[in-house]
Amino acid sequence: MINISKVTKKYGKTIIVDNLSLKINDGTVFGFLGPNGAGKTTTIKMLVGLNKPDTGEIKINKYVASSIQSKQTSGYMPEDPYFYDHLTGYEFLEFCLSLSSDYRSKPQVENSDSSRISSNGIITKMLETVGLSEAKNKMINTYSKGMKQRLGLAQAIIHKPKYIFLDEPLDGLDPIGRNDFKNILRGMKKQGSTIFLNSHILSDVEELCDEIGILNHGKLLYTGKVSEFCKRGELEKRFVELINNKQEGIAN
Amino acid sequence: MNNILIIAKNTFKEAIRDKILYGILAFALIFIFATIFLGSLSLGEDLKVIKDLGLAGIYLFSIIITIFISAQAIYKEIEKKTIYIVLAKPVKTFEFIIGKFLGLLTGIVLTILIMQIVYLVVVLGKGGGFDSYSLISLLLQIFEIGIFVSLAVLFSTFSTPFASMLYSIILLYIGHSLSILLKYAEKAGSIAKYAVYPFYYLLPNLEKFNVRNTVVNDKLPGGGEVTFSIIYGIFYIIVILYLANLSLKKQEL
Repeated sequence: MINISKVTKKYGKTIIVDNLSLKINDGTVFGFLGPNGAGKTTTIKMLVGLNKPDTGEIKINKYVASSIQSKQTSGYMPEDPYFYDHLTGYEFLEFCLSLSSDYRSKPQVENSDSSRISSNGIITKMLETVGLSEAKNKMINTYSKGMKQRLGLAQAIIHKPKYIFLDEPLDGLDPIGRNDFKNILRGMKKQGSTIFLNSHILSDVEELCDEIGILNHGKLLYTGKVSEFCKRGELEKRFVELINNKQEGIAN
Repeated sequence: MNNILIIAKNTFKEAIRDKILYGILAFALIFIFATIFLGSLSLGEDLKVIKDLGLAGIYLFSIIITIFISAQAIYKEIEKKTIYIVLAKPVKTFEFIIGKFLGLLTGIVLTILIMQIVYLVVVLGKGGGFDSYSLISLLLQIFEIGIFVSLAVLFSTFSTPFASMLYSIILLYIGHSLSILLKYAEKAGSIAKYAVYPFYYLLPNLEKFNVRNTVVNDKLPGGGEVTFSIIYGIFYIIVILYLANLSLKKQEL
């Protein structure tokens, strides 16, 4: 379970995340939505241990989010990921896989037919999964934006983490790329992973997510099942209504 | 330890694939070869001139390479967000810092070794035999470079590459002037002396690693002196990397 408990985060005097509390059960695909500047990226950075909350606590499966134990079971794809220009796609994934100490403790993982595959096999398979086989030996600085997004996802899931945190994973992808990504995420969900994603593409969120949380000015406005929220209309329409009503409330 | 070596290997690959490094190295090698002609202008002291200029050239270009590559080490990772991907994995901050340090140092040492080999070939070619004493100078230079790399890593955790380069250059100058400063301060009186003491002990005394004049005159520096300089260098590097770790931990990524 992902447990965010009364978390507040400030940058200087500005409150970015305001007393946020959220519980996400294992196996859920959770969409974290909000307008620009709502605090979504700040929240996700705290979930993966890049920053610590000023107050409150975040636990991933009993472990504090910033702990090594939590990071061992997590995978993270930042928004608009950048990479090392002078590495190839293959080398970068090799680097990322090596840093996963959970993988190191069992260097050959079980394949679906119980045969063991080496790190080379894992990397090759992952490159195939994200559609980068042909570019594996090319320098990352020659990759297009879509290719970098694919590589970003690959490094986040290559060690088969239990918890996956994705910040705008579908950004910059063409419709074929988005479809491929969604299929990969559905596959991860079937394998039992919990997926926490930020996205502005609400149609994809509606399609993929079981539950959503909506954040605005650091405050959680809604959390619950997508189907419940969308009873009175499409996700995008309901989202805009909710944000505008709240903002009118604040203005009045 | 595994994570440190993995990050070091990655950093080393990134460093040696940077084309600008090869540009600086090419100039360095041209300079070392050019010492042959400069030596021929001297009156019978050509070998001494070649050794003097050769070792000075290796030092100068290794400092340039160090400052250029190391000044943006951590800053680039933060700006380009590659640090997010690394620190979101089960990697401790100190493993990242030490891995970056070792990777950068290894890359720079490789370029120094290339320059040193060319220097040895030039000296051998001019009839000077195998200049084994220069290897002592090389060893101490590596520790001096190690101090520089650690300082550059520290600076790059909180400042821009330009500022890091500037601080490094200032420290280079001060580091080689500390002994002279202290000497003058001691002559000037107790107030000046006590004012200089904190700087003398806190800032890196880089002259401890400079034995080029000694080896050029075919003399060997004392074993005790060399050992003390190495221990001093290791201690200083450890302290600076500890501060770099604290600095990076304080960063809001």
